Amino acid sequence: MQPVTVIACSKDQTHIWSDVLAQAVTGELIGALNYMTLAELYQDPSEKAEALEHAQGERGHAASFTAAGRALGIEVAVNLEAQYWKRIRSIFLSRAQAGDLIGCILAQEVMLESFAVASYSVVAEAAPGELGATFARIAGEEGEHVAHAVELLRAERARHPSAFDARTHRMHEEIMTALAEMMAREDPGGHCGLCKGSCVKHSLPEAGISLSEIRGASLQRYLKTLDEIGVPGESSLVWVAQLPV
Amino acid sequence: MPQVDFALIGHPESWNRAAAVISLLRGADRPPMSLEDVREIIPWIPPRTASRVTVESSQGRQVRGVYIDSFIPPDRLDSRFLRENLARVRAAATCAIKEGARIVTLGGFSSILLEGKTDLLPSHSKTAFTTGNTLTVALIVKGIERALELAGRDTSESDVLIVGASGDVGSGCARCLAPKVRRLFLSARNPDRLREFASEFLPLGSRVAADTDLQQLSEKADVVICAASMPSPELILGALPPGSIVCDAGYPKNVSAEFVPREGAIFYGGLGHASCGIQLDPDLLGVMYPYSCSNVAHGCLLEGVALAMERRFEPFSQGRGLITPRRVEDIWQIAQRHGIGLPPLFNGAGPAEEEMRCLGRGVPR
Repeated sequence: MQPVTVIACSKDQTHIWSDVLAQAVTGELIGALNYMTLAELYQDPSEKAEALEHAQGERGHAASFTAAGRALGIEVAVNLEAQYWKRIRSIFLSRAQAGDLIGCILAQEVMLESFAVASYSVVAEAAPGELGATFARIAGEEGEHVAHAVELLRAERARHPSAFDARTHRMHEEIMTALAEMMAREDPGGHCGLCKGSCVKHSLPEAGISLSEIRGASLQRYLKTLDEIGVPGESSLVWVAQLPV
Repeated sequence: MPQVDFALIGHPESWNRAAAVISLLRGADRPPMSLEDVREIIPWIPPRTASRVTVESSQGRQVRGVYIDSFIPPDRLDSRFLRENLARVRAAATCAIKEGARIVTLGGFSSILLEGKTDLLPSHSKTAFTTGNTLTVALIVKGIERALELAGRDTSESDVLIVGASGDVGSGCARCLAPKVRRLFLSARNPDRLREFASEFLPLGSRVAADTDLQQLSEKADVVICAASMPSPELILGALPPGSIVCDAGYPKNVSAEFVPREGAIFYGGLGHASCGIQLDPDLLGVMYPYSCSNVAHGCLLEGVALAMERRFEPFSQGRGLITPRRVEDIWQIAQRHGIGLPPLFNGAGPAEEEMRCLGRGVPR
């Protein structure tokens, strides 16, 4: 076992960081599973290899978060059955079973990664010590996944614009709705299955984290990614306006 | 991709207007978004095309364009947010260029932020930028003339106060009206700019007066044009003589929706009417202009439309304080040729023409 250095983290904030890290680690492990599935869907050997590499990267991120938590004296919980993450994984798997490679890329590399990049960047500003640096570093690495997808998806959209937009809308309605409900002020589906006590979202301001900033920054990053892919602005505007709040 | 002749860059006039747009996009089958949520989300939305626009010319030509919303939050229009807002306008301009727009108009605060310096925008050899302010001036002046006609008053016997006189729209109105009215009062917040601008009118002697003290000037005027760059409707015009006519041409509005001049009347100026119709998809027009008259839009936006109809993809209105009566007449003729003109006068409460007629008859409203 590695030696653990405990850095100061105010005791009344420990439960907040514990719940935040539980979300991050679980999200990373769901990401790892999704990339493993993507590797099976890809025909191109180099894309297969890259997806496996990304899966490994996500596992590495989960390990980094876990280690950063341990350094704060926090044992990070993981629950792949937590309702929102389980729902996201299930949507992803259903598209994979239908052989919808593009739908799966949209879900993992555009929607989930945009959310990760933006939310980690916001959390990085507030996180104590090494944990902040960990969130910032991983946000940067997740950004590379988004960039990888944009190039591929832009080319795909250029071939079949309306079919591509319809598929993107479908994935948006499933994945982004799940994410929006997860980030809503009140959980419409009850306890998320990751917070140790009551919902951590109400306590985030105590740790200097703004839920509205996480929601807004995630939405902004997602819209910018769709813009880069070439989805018309008036379409993506309607999509986000229709998300649950 | 359909051809894009023009792009109109705008921003929400108020939080309620922004909420109405989001509500429309959200659809009737979803629970409405609270104003709190709208205020939280809008600042994060990157500038983007919000609607496809089609406008018919009275000569049968159809022009196509886009409405690009810069999503400048309505409570962040003041100078503290200058850098952020300029970035938004630049991003909106980039969006217009990507759309392939031949001419782009800078609505509301977009041109004010730039102070008319369109060279601060990303450049493209096939895209021209215009502030749109020349047609706005034309519509304000025509609106004043129409209001006075309805009230049975002679323009040459009117004392007109222009609030925001050193601005691009205000100065254009002043130049157009100075030769026509009895007395012209110029008001602005920046004394140096006001003094410099007022010096243009020295040959007119005491017929033109300028002062930063709005209260003092408003006691003397029977017609007021509100064309100030104000982030919210906060103009106080309590000192106006009874029976005054007020034209609120601000974006956002300069005076509060509840304000009615004592025994007088108010109308919204600077708005134009496309007689052959304006179609938006999604149809945001009704929530952007929830007025008694349909097919209405701001003059600045319609300037781009009129120039597209005329196939004159040129930076017609540029800079600040350069609008002349001749240019105003030019753009008015272009607009008229394509069925763009003055709508029946109205205000936030509905049609305002009968109110103007009542003034003429001395009938209390």
